Amino acid sequence: MTWKSPVALVREALQGQRAREKDLRSLMSNLPYEGLEKGKQPNRYFPSNAIKTTKYSLLLFIPMNLYEQFHRLANIYFVGLAILNFIPVVNAFQPEVALIPICIILSLTALKDAWEDFRRYQSDKKLNNTPCFIYSRKEKQFVERRWKDVRVGDFVKVVCNETIPADLLLLYTSDPNGVCLIETANLDGETNLKQRTAVSGNPEFEPESFNGIVVCEKPNNNLNHFKCYMWVSNTQKVGAGIESLLLRGCTVRNTDHAVGFVVYAGHETKSMLNNSGPRYKRSKLERRLNIDVFFCFILLFAMCLIGALGHFIWLYALPGVPPYLVPPANGHLDSPNLSSFYMFFTMIILLQILIPISLYVSIELVKIGQIFLITNDIDLYDEETDSRIQCKALNITEDLGQIEYIFSDKTGTLTENKMVFRRCSIMGTDRTGSSSRCQKIDPYLEFFLALTICNTVVVSMTNNPLETLSSLVKNTGNILKCCKRKPKRNRTFTMDSDDQFQPSVKMEEPGTSGLQPCSLHAASLHDKHPLTSDNLRYEAESPDEAALVYATKAYGFTLLARTPDSVTVRLPSGEVLVFEVLDTLTFDSNRKRMSVLVRHPITKEYVLYTKGADYAIMELLGTPYAGIGNEKNIAAVTQRHLDCYAKEGLRTLCIAKKVVSEAVYKHWLVERQRALTAIDNREVLIMDTAVQLETNLTLLGATGIEDRLQENVPDTIMALRQAGIKVWVLTGDKPETAVNIGYACRLLEDEDLITCRAILDCTLEEVRRYNSDPRNVDTTLNISLVIDGRTLTMALSPDLRGDFVDLAKHCRSVLCCRVTPLQKSRVVKVIREKLKVMTLAVGDGANDVNMIQAADIGIGISGQEGMQAVMASDFAISRFKHLKKLLLVHGHWCYTRLANMIIYFFYKNVAYVNLLFWYQFFCGFSGSTMIDYWLLIFFNLFFTSLPPIMFGIMDRDISAEMLLGVPELYKTGQGEGDYRFTTFWVSILDAFYQSLVCFFIPYFVYQDSDIDMFTFGTPLNTTALFTILLHLSIEIKSWVIMLGSVLFYFIVTLAYSATCVTCNPPSNPYWVLQNQMADPMFYLICILSTVVALLPRYTFHVLRNSIALSPLIEAKHLDRLDPSMREEWMKEWRSYRGGGQVQRSTLSTPPSPTLENPVDIFSESLAVSDIMGDDFTLNVFGQ
Amino acid sequence: DVKSYRKVQEDDDADGARVGGNEKFTNRPDNTAFTQQRLPAWQPILSAGIVIPGFVLIGLAFIGVGVALFVTSRSIQVLERDYTGDESGTPCASCANSNVQNCICTLNITVETLFKGPVFFYYGLSNYFQNYRRYGTSKDDNQLYGVLNPSDNCAPYAYNSNNQPIVPCGSIANSMFNDTFKLYQTVNGTRQEVSLDGKGIAWWTDYNIKYRNPTNNPLKDAFNGSNSGLFYRNFLINPIYWSKPAYELDTSDPSNNGFVNQDFLVWMRRAALPDFRKLYRRISQDKYPDGLPAGNYSLEITYNYRVYRFSGKKKVVFSNVSWMGGKNEFLGIAYLVVGSMCVFMSIVMLIVYAKFKFPDEE
Repeated sequence: MTWKSPVALVREALQGQRAREKDLRSLMSNLPYEGLEKGKQPNRYFPSNAIKTTKYSLLLFIPMNLYEQFHRLANIYFVGLAILNFIPVVNAFQPEVALIPICIILSLTALKDAWEDFRRYQSDKKLNNTPCFIYSRKEKQFVERRWKDVRVGDFVKVVCNETIPADLLLLYTSDPNGVCLIETANLDGETNLKQRTAVSGNPEFEPESFNGIVVCEKPNNNLNHFKCYMWVSNTQKVGAGIESLLLRGCTVRNTDHAVGFVVYAGHETKSMLNNSGPRYKRSKLERRLNIDVFFCFILLFAMCLIGALGHFIWLYALPGVPPYLVPPANGHLDSPNLSSFYMFFTMIILLQILIPISLYVSIELVKIGQIFLITNDIDLYDEETDSRIQCKALNITEDLGQIEYIFSDKTGTLTENKMVFRRCSIMGTDRTGSSSRCQKIDPYLEFFLALTICNTVVVSMTNNPLETLSSLVKNTGNILKCCKRKPKRNRTFTMDSDDQFQPSVKMEEPGTSGLQPCSLHAASLHDKHPLTSDNLRYEAESPDEAALVYATKAYGFTLLARTPDSVTVRLPSGEVLVFEVLDTLTFDSNRKRMSVLVRHPITKEYVLYTKGADYAIMELLGTPYAGIGNEKNIAAVTQRHLDCYAKEGLRTLCIAKKVVSEAVYKHWLVERQRALTAIDNREVLIMDTAVQLETNLTLLGATGIEDRLQENVPDTIMALRQAGIKVWVLTGDKPETAVNIGYACRLLEDEDLITCRAILDCTLEEVRRYNSDPRNVDTTLNISLVIDGRTLTMALSPDLRGDFVDLAKHCRSVLCCRVTPLQKSRVVKVIREKLKVMTLAVGDGANDVNMIQAADIGIGISGQEGMQAVMASDFAISRFKHLKKLLLVHGHWCYTRLANMIIYFFYKNVAYVNLLFWYQFFCGFSGSTMIDYWLLIFFNLFFTSLPPIMFGIMDRDISAEMLLGVPELYKTGQGEGDYRFTTFWVSILDAFYQSLVCFFIPYFVYQDSDIDMFTFGTPLNTTALFTILLHLSIEIKSWVIMLGSVLFYFIVTLAYSATCVTCNPPSNPYWVLQNQMADPMFYLICILSTVVALLPRYTFHVLRNSIALSPLIEAKHLDRLDPSMREEWMKEWRSYRGGGQVQRSTLSTPPSPTLENPVDIFSESLAVSDIMGDDFTLNVFGQ
Repeated sequence: DVKSYRKVQEDDDADGARVGGNEKFTNRPDNTAFTQQRLPAWQPILSAGIVIPGFVLIGLAFIGVGVALFVTSRSIQVLERDYTGDESGTPCASCANSNVQNCICTLNITVETLFKGPVFFYYGLSNYFQNYRRYGTSKDDNQLYGVLNPSDNCAPYAYNSNNQPIVPCGSIANSMFNDTFKLYQTVNGTRQEVSLDGKGIAWWTDYNIKYRNPTNNPLKDAFNGSNSGLFYRNFLINPIYWSKPAYELDTSDPSNNGFVNQDFLVWMRRAALPDFRKLYRRISQDKYPDGLPAGNYSLEITYNYRVYRFSGKKKVVFSNVSWMGGKNEFLGIAYLVVGSMCVFMSIVMLIVYAKFKFPDEE
């Protein structure tokens, strides 16, 4: 190591800083510089691949952890008090003793932090030492190194099934097409494979000959975006994007090996930048708690002031200097003013536990316990995915019990997001009228070809299919089977409309060979069974695409392979066609469509196949469709079919094609290339080029894909609604689809008045009129609002927002269709802020992330669409139905437990501290205590702390069955809930009363007797313990712990009293308790005080439980019945409380009276109810 | 077939869970009563029907205890005499107004009926805050355990102006009550001293364990500077307010002298409340086995302790005791009141129960 001047070091550091901050980074290969010292390395400014996620280092743990902990206001307060103890003029306790509680609390927290940090350290170490292959110039090959040795500018080789150590720019793969497949499950949980392409596409790649410069952007955390270009030679520039980037943490699959150039390493990699640690949210209860802590401060201040004033008056009234008034060490008495000023601080120390020091620690412990129990609930475990509920936010469990609004996504949340191809409409037959379909197969061919080609599905051959896939196949079979009964009705339906619909109907049952469409050669069906096809496994980015490809495969159009350049399709005839893929215009949410440009192998035509949302395609149809000819007719018929699919709750897609002339293509290609290599505005440019090409489309047909409801969704939504929660569904689907799903999942009811896209004011006026009508006081109008995205935009504009919220308040459920992710979060925000309610958002996809983050509680469903929602959420569940138990049972429990525990803590401290306060009136406000200091501290820290904590974790006020059976019980937690202003003050007043009793009964008994101080204090302390513990017994069940606490108290106190001969002056509790326990008066006093202290509270509870029955108490009563009796009672109760909402046997039929839909020409309601009939029976038997 | 299909699938799943449970469902939570929150628990709902027996029982028990306490308390005889002398005409008025040491005044007491033994003789002080915080800390337990160096707690009563250590140090010892009493019975015009028993009036643990004299014999040696264990080779000074050193507290009985003097021990145990009494003597059971017979008595008081500085009062109390200690009517009455309240409540509950009973209570 050579010596460097400090100036050079500083300059070096500055240069490094500048290099890291630059918007564009130029990176070079490290190979030419191999073996040189660090200062000569070209990429020395960028961090290495070693990561360190620990917060502390071994040496600095204590100071750093203390620094962290003192960010908490409460801790500062307690340390301030501890310091106050050391000021000689005010010392009330022995200062060392006063330090014990704060030390215990700090060290407990520090232990917890240290343990967490150690685990991080271990995982870092493991990760940093994972082996990987780096190219070495000396050895002319890839040599094994550790992850921490990887530097920016290195060449790293990754082999199949290995994890990628850093962000690599893919330069070479073993695949001849330069493709590398990766699985991003570690990153976002998506198990489907993603395709990455090598930049150069050069099959013979040699790291040593690489002399290009890679220019890339500054590191950012966007997983789906990367901009970079590479100077291959001095003149040629090659652009690259995310499709060439291998991300750290991903796994290479189906590719033998790949070589990449390290662009970002260590903490600059995208996966590390995305790793933002656990989220910290503050629960509503905690916000309330802080207000009450503030009240306690005021109370403390007032009591200290009384103490100081009292001391002043007492001193002032003394006629002389009595023998008991001891001057300070210097022998001169302070003036009454000064000593009462000191007394104020002495009082603060004396009464400090009024601010519950152990409360914060206890709350944390309780929440850990609660989360442990939630995650261990077997009902919230999903066998299919082998996943439990995950609690990511550790401190908002109690918010689960206070939810008033739920905002739910539809796809994947309410539904399975397992798509099944159900219907399609092919316009082809339309042209030929009623002529024989067998002769005119062209439209079908074209349609299915388009379906097969126009997607991004990747084929992978494997003998080891994933669990999920097999279940998907199973379910598909299930669906197909259960549809068997349908054709009759469907046929009538199609007969009604048009004959040529026949094929599409038949396509729904490919398994029944008898109904084989004649247009597709019969032999083709047997083709789909050969073993080779059976081994095909499709990896799709969206389940819709997979469903379509599986469907086309069922019809004989088998997608055999897909490379970036080609698509191989086997036709029903057995003929295999290889299409050259010229370009793929990927899906984006603005265009709402995707296209694939291929060159037809036979006709050599340039064909663009486009697939997308119906309205996105319909707008782009060619000019003939605007006319009055056949085309227009086709468009109209297709549109009618689309609407009808939507009404059945199917997801619709339109398929179109366009033949592009060579000249147009050439011209377009130039622009496309320019867009692809652009580094600024690239997305916009690429999108522009896509839009340019996607015009004048020819409609091929439409498809309807069914997305089944998840099991128990209607049941769950019913229960949530009965629990007083308003359920909103926000979906990107069409209103018709959404409304039907709404009916299916019982979000909307038959008798509901559906207000759809109506004029806001009118509706609001109507609703208000209805509500103000005296006749309608008892009945609540069942309004459901269906609103689409465009209207929603207007409704959320500042001037209309108030009205909208007002209207929404009156609605039982709201359905928002065609909404964008941003709108979703805006809706949540508006409702949350305007109505000041607790909101919960649940979703499964990336489009729900905004919403999930905007709500008080975000719940992610780990489903088919990856883990982005889960990563952003506070709780992650695997099925929608889990929401029911999570909210109704765990939410209720967590909330009541914690609310009661907190109130109890306040009560406990006030009751106990007041004993000391009352004593001040009899000791000249001098800050004396009649209870030994150690016992004082132990009382809070040990004797009375465990029962409330156990109470907070384990108590069950009502059984889970009851809470699930009577969802109305959930309402008790909503709004203000149990933890109200009044409950707090009532318990404080009760504490005052109880402390008065506990103090003054012994006082009157021992008045004018020869009792000494600490003997007097013993029954006080004991009574307080009994009272405080028995107070809890009104709610608690863990009597064992309470008895344990009492025993512990006696054992500790007896032991302490027996051993402490001269210790702890001035209290000197030697043999005090023993002495008292030999005296019958002690027991008589304790019993009387305890009974008198608790009598009012118990009487109040008894009367309330007998006279003013709250639903909770009724439920408690019911809980005690045996199960069969309970069922009966529950039914009876529900029937008079819940009204007619419990009738669950009848199925809703979906006429939507005010739905402004022109397509009402065929009475498809039968078919719809039929679909739902199936769903419903499925649900019933699926339980 | 839908049903059957689902059924089959479920059975499959169940089988899978049973057979390959460990591998397939690694994340499955344990199905125990604890994790599933199904632990058995007993919790009565406090409603009228359930608490009626409780209220009746508590009420009756309390009334019983209350009656017992009340009767016992009524049977206790107490005789109290104030001797502060702050009002002119009272026997000790002259002593209260003069600063004469060992001023003697006499209090005449008439006992109407036999004062049943054992009779306890207390002195009482009022408005005296032995529980004052600084006062309480102003003593040195270790010194009284035999280690004579005074600790800083005792300041400013640890050393005198010549830096000589004070023993026993601190304010409590310094302010020790120093009135003495002698009781005479007037039998046929002649005064006959009633013998008082000063043994065992302090706590047994105080006398035997907590307080200990230095081991020197005679005790005086420990105080005159010849005690080699003492850091200060000075004479030890008796507390400022004391007229005699600690080793002269009871010269007649070595086991009642120094730090283990019973009167000193009684004083050192601080009273809880500002109005208190402390045990002074017992009427000797040897001479008066039945207690004080009826008759005239005179109490000769050596008046030393000044109380006017805190407007206090001094009194003497004769009392006999029962199992419940001294006379105290409050507790008996409180038990009676609370007991009757409970009985009353139970009647109210009965009415409530009749009107609002819940089916599960039948």
